[in-house]
Amino acid sequence: MRVLIVDNGGQWTHREWRVVRDLGAEAVIVPNTIPVEAIDADGIVLSGGSPRAGVNREAMGLNGRYLDELSIPILGICAGHQFMAIHMGGSAGSSAVPEFGKARIYVDEPDVLFEGVPLSFDAWLSHNDEILELPEAFVKLAHSDNCAVQAMHHKSRPIYGVQFHPEVEHTEHGYTIFTNFLELCKN
Amino acid sequence: MFDPEKFITSAIDQIRERIKERAVIACSGGVDSTVAAVLMSRAIGEQLLTVYVDNGLMRKGENSEVDAMLSELKVNHKIVDASEEFFEALKGVIDPEQKRKIIGEKFIRVFEREARQFGARYLVQGTIAPDWIESGGGLRDVIKSHHNVGGLPASMDLDLVEPLRDLYKDEVRKVSRTLGIRFSERQPFPGPALAIRVLGEVTPEAVSLVREANAIVEEELVRAAEAGEMALPWQYFAVLLPVKSVGVQGDARAYGRTIVVRAVESVDGMTANYVKIPHDVLERISNRISNALKDKVNRVLYDVTNKPPATIEWE
Repeated sequence: MRVLIVDNGGQWTHREWRVVRDLGAEAVIVPNTIPVEAIDADGIVLSGGSPRAGVNREAMGLNGRYLDELSIPILGICAGHQFMAIHMGGSAGSSAVPEFGKARIYVDEPDVLFEGVPLSFDAWLSHNDEILELPEAFVKLAHSDNCAVQAMHHKSRPIYGVQFHPEVEHTEHGYTIFTNFLELCKN
Repeated sequence: MFDPEKFITSAIDQIRERIKERAVIACSGGVDSTVAAVLMSRAIGEQLLTVYVDNGLMRKGENSEVDAMLSELKVNHKIVDASEEFFEALKGVIDPEQKRKIIGEKFIRVFEREARQFGARYLVQGTIAPDWIESGGGLRDVIKSHHNVGGLPASMDLDLVEPLRDLYKDEVRKVSRTLGIRFSERQPFPGPALAIRVLGEVTPEAVSLVREANAIVEEELVRAAEAGEMALPWQYFAVLLPVKSVGVQGDARAYGRTIVVRAVESVDGMTANYVKIPHDVLERISNRISNALKDKVNRVLYDVTNKPPATIEWE
């Protein structure tokens, strides 16, 4: 199995690469300008971004085309998650209370992404922006005390977004969440 | 999962494939560069010269410890004293990025000199993933210029080789243990050394203050861990702040500087949490530091910030 990590310039892009590789899949980091036709993979991860990237269309390269044209599973993280909401009809912008470091995540909806994960757990975050309006095609899966949309799932496509960072060591159950995503990529 | 044995075999093959001439390796005695030195040494033997630079910014006793360690590991090595050059270049500099860039460049100039003498074409560094990630480039923001990446000068005479570039600290330690290196658990100590633990100007006097405080933090935490009071943190050290405050020492007014104690738990340095050191241990550290540093330091603080939002080091 082969998963591409689309690099939006985040501090933890290489961590996503490492977790996917640790879980036994082939992981490749690619720039976010790689043409859609060149994507030969079972799933892709849209990484976190450079400062404020999620709300800055230019910094996000071809992420929009990947969302429009690919049918493989997609996991957006942080900026990738925010961009996904904007691109698909919702909105994102400055957080009233940004979250840096540890925060508690509460799972609101059971979903394959959270299989084997308790209903609340500690995750690590680093964001100034967040989703303000959920796109209509998505279901909200989780929240934290200061952020309403910590995770979401497209109603009819294998597209997921998370605001927290399942790829870093300090996030509890991060490997389980990635394992669940890789299971989706297998199918 | 990461397989250290497979990594070692393929790294040695790749090094032999690529390096046909002499090489010098920059070794600070930390786990990353020491592992790189041992790997390189296994691959190309006497074609490699390991260079340790005494930049005047190392911890207490570190120069002789590293010398002994490299001898024990049987790598062909040399200790170069460049402390005066480093202090000279850092005179009057207070900006952390500028410090890192000056140190990066100074290191390279020393290595170029040593490489010329040894007839080497390659410079090997123990660069690992967080070094180039945090140094920025392309879309990625510069968090801090690691001396061995963002601190490299624009022009240099040597071809760079970085065999550990995709690894994190926990993976380097796995490689290190597999290589049988008994120094695999040394705590991380970044290349700019004590220069980035003196906030403000890096003078020999300020460095000697933070060196002494750092030694006390290390001794007390190692002792507390051995006594079962706590687990030894991933990284623990002292930082000297330029902030002065009023105190009273021996019935006399004191107006001294501030030491911050930092101790964090991490796996790979990319995220970290502060360690909940027992108060008794913190008190011992505080007392010893203010007694040892006399009128120079009369206040000790403990840093309770995670990464993010902070980084592990202060600069």
